[in-house]
Amino acid sequence: MSTIAYSRDHEVVQRLRPEPMTQAEIDAQERIDPVEFDIFKHKMHMIALEGKETTMKLGASTAMRWGDVAFGVFTRQGDLSVCATGIYHHAVLGQIPLKYVVKHWVNEPSVGVKEGDSFFYNDPFYAGVHNADMGLAVPVFYKGELMCFIAAAVHTGEAGGTEPGGTCNTAKTKYDEGLLVPPIKIGENYQLREDILNMLAAMTRDPRTMILDIKARLAAARIAQRRVLEVIEEKGPEFFIGGLRRILTQTGEAARRRVAQLNDGVYRQPRFLDTVGTEAGLTKINLTLIKKGDTITMDFENSSPMLEGRPMNSFFQGILGLSCVYYCGWLFHDLPANNGLLEAIDWRFPDDAMVNAKGDASTSLAPLVQTCFTQGMFLAGARMTYNYDSSRAVAAWFSGFAIPTFGGINQFGEGIADITPEINATGCGARPDMDGVDAAGAFFATMSDCSDVEATEADRPFLYTFRNFFNSSYGHGKFRGGSGVGFGLMVHDTNRFMLGSMGGGSRFPSTLGLFGGYAVPPVFVQTVHGSNLKDLMADGHTPLPNKLAGIYAPDAPEQGNKATSEVNMVVKPFNDGDTYYVAVGGGGGYGDPLEREPESVLKDLRADRVSHFAAREVYRIVYDAETLRLDVAATEALRADSRKARLARAKPFAEFVRTWDSLSPPQEALRYYGSWPNPREGMLPVGQLKAA
Amino acid sequence: MTKLRITEYLDLDLVAERWQCNRCGQDLGAAQANYKEGCLVAERDLAEVHPPLLEGQAQSYTPDSQYCRLVEFYCPQCATMLDNEYLPPGHPITHEIELDIAALKQKHGLAANAAGGAKG
Repeated sequence: MSTIAYSRDHEVVQRLRPEPMTQAEIDAQERIDPVEFDIFKHKMHMIALEGKETTMKLGASTAMRWGDVAFGVFTRQGDLSVCATGIYHHAVLGQIPLKYVVKHWVNEPSVGVKEGDSFFYNDPFYAGVHNADMGLAVPVFYKGELMCFIAAAVHTGEAGGTEPGGTCNTAKTKYDEGLLVPPIKIGENYQLREDILNMLAAMTRDPRTMILDIKARLAAARIAQRRVLEVIEEKGPEFFIGGLRRILTQTGEAARRRVAQLNDGVYRQPRFLDTVGTEAGLTKINLTLIKKGDTITMDFENSSPMLEGRPMNSFFQGILGLSCVYYCGWLFHDLPANNGLLEAIDWRFPDDAMVNAKGDASTSLAPLVQTCFTQGMFLAGARMTYNYDSSRAVAAWFSGFAIPTFGGINQFGEGIADITPEINATGCGARPDMDGVDAAGAFFATMSDCSDVEATEADRPFLYTFRNFFNSSYGHGKFRGGSGVGFGLMVHDTNRFMLGSMGGGSRFPSTLGLFGGYAVPPVFVQTVHGSNLKDLMADGHTPLPNKLAGIYAPDAPEQGNKATSEVNMVVKPFNDGDTYYVAVGGGGGYGDPLEREPESVLKDLRADRVSHFAAREVYRIVYDAETLRLDVAATEALRADSRKARLARAKPFAEFVRTWDSLSPPQEALRYYGSWPNPREGMLPVGQLKAA
Repeated sequence: MTKLRITEYLDLDLVAERWQCNRCGQDLGAAQANYKEGCLVAERDLAEVHPPLLEGQAQSYTPDSQYCRLVEFYCPQCATMLDNEYLPPGHPITHEIELDIAALKQKHGLAANAAGGAKG
């Protein structure tokens, strides 16, 4: 053992930007023909795309089958050069495990990196998000020389720990999270090691899915390896090594040019979370973007302290990863998704903050911390970019997750654990020129799909009682957010099953609007144990609710032990016939709702895409409820009155603030927050941790 | 170009160094300050925007007012809602956009204004 000390490597995770150019890469640049380079770039992207598609086709877990996949080609130093994905956080996180392999295993006699090897990893300290995100990488050799790495990073929805489904609301330290594997060799001589697979299978609740997902990643990587070797054979190793580097270099240069065109200034967006996992509690992520010259600096001073004994923390590298969902998908949408983009980005994280976890702290709910932060990127980013290109200034997509997590025995007697795929059916944020797209996907996995319900029912013990648009799921505005989806699950044909939920935003909306647009409403879970719904379905005479609003009606026919829960719901037993209802939210609204075209409201009414309450009380239109015919004059008058009412109830800023400043949340809500209102002022972090 | 559109509802008069409402031209204060100081401000009843669909339960579709309030910022002349904020009760109002006015003027070929936006 020459280079490792059996503890996490804090040096390698700092190396998010591209490594310095090697002499071989420098020498190659002069001999790369620009036209040949463009052909090479396209070819490499096609290889990555094929890898992504192959991984999806072969995978077993919900997320892998429906597109939560990043597939990339990395330089032999470990930088990600070419990537096919909609989960852009992996565009800057995927290289950390490879840099770890290069640093620790290449020259380690007991491990080594050889042709035919394969490496596995899921410790979020290296992979960056949470331990359900698992990766597999293979080195590619040509005539005995290491040329590159190929890797697939995919969410496999079960990673052991205190709860099934890949996230643990109850985790208190990292030891409660289950599988946490730094990069290890799991295969050599083109064979997976069965003893290692056996160990990984034994440590999770869904061994079949675990192993199938590993083999899917590997199969796709081997196909890509074959294609890459063909490219090297044709172009030569020097061109290949220099070409991968040039992609990174060009990306960084283009990113800096783009940033230089934005207005210099400071853009602020505080973000708030309303849960710490097993209980409610406010925390704050205080995002400040400082744009100067060709660099954007992300500053997190005065964010809440690290939460000890609760899973609502993130490693700093995970926060940087999620920033790239905004950067890659929106600001740099036309540039390659790779870590060269970080040449235009800088960051400042305070120590001992919930966005900069250390030690044994749990980060099991890091995805919620990270998406909460990413909302801030959309909002601050919109203010930073509107003047440069208004089409970049969009409201955010839903970020509260509301994901059903489950584990137990399915209808075939097999052990399973995973999540359902509706997180891939959230609505887009509204835009300066149009409504958000309904049920579009997940903002952090834009190439994903929510599957047919039949596909989910085939090997999960669920019967979907309905799944469709929910008209109280998005933010209103001049342009409204895309609609989210409400759905009902009935546990079917098993009495050995657990269901829970991962998410946030049951008290404080997770997803805000933009420029006067409203937020996405809170979401929550309703459950019915001992439900009579199965009997009603068998009887067939009673009309049953076929959308979420019907579930809440006072005369809803379903009877049983009804309860509601916030979307951070610890798993609990569900038996055959018990039901579970939730909505995944839509997008935030854009602009003042009083500016929405009345005809757009009526069109939504006809499609049941907006409620009559919102049409009357938020959009302030007057119409015949039966014919849906607009009363133009009355609408103009009502809207004029609404504007007068605004001015009548409002106060000058200074007067408003005098009253506002005297308010504060109750102390019990601030238990984890830090010092109010600025978490790091006046208290030492260690004191805050003791209070928590 | 002396007037820049910074957001959907905010213009910046770069010569005068003043914020203006994009819809009606109303002056909203010095460009170096928070434009919200030039707005009329109101806290909305959360249920007017996010009505509960489920009565009598701890959860509904209305935010918890102990955790969250909705503050709206209106143009004092045309009453357009220029922006809103969802904040914990009493949390300081956010100064979201603080442009480097000197850099912006240089970018657009304008001389620095010694008055620094003090007029108006």
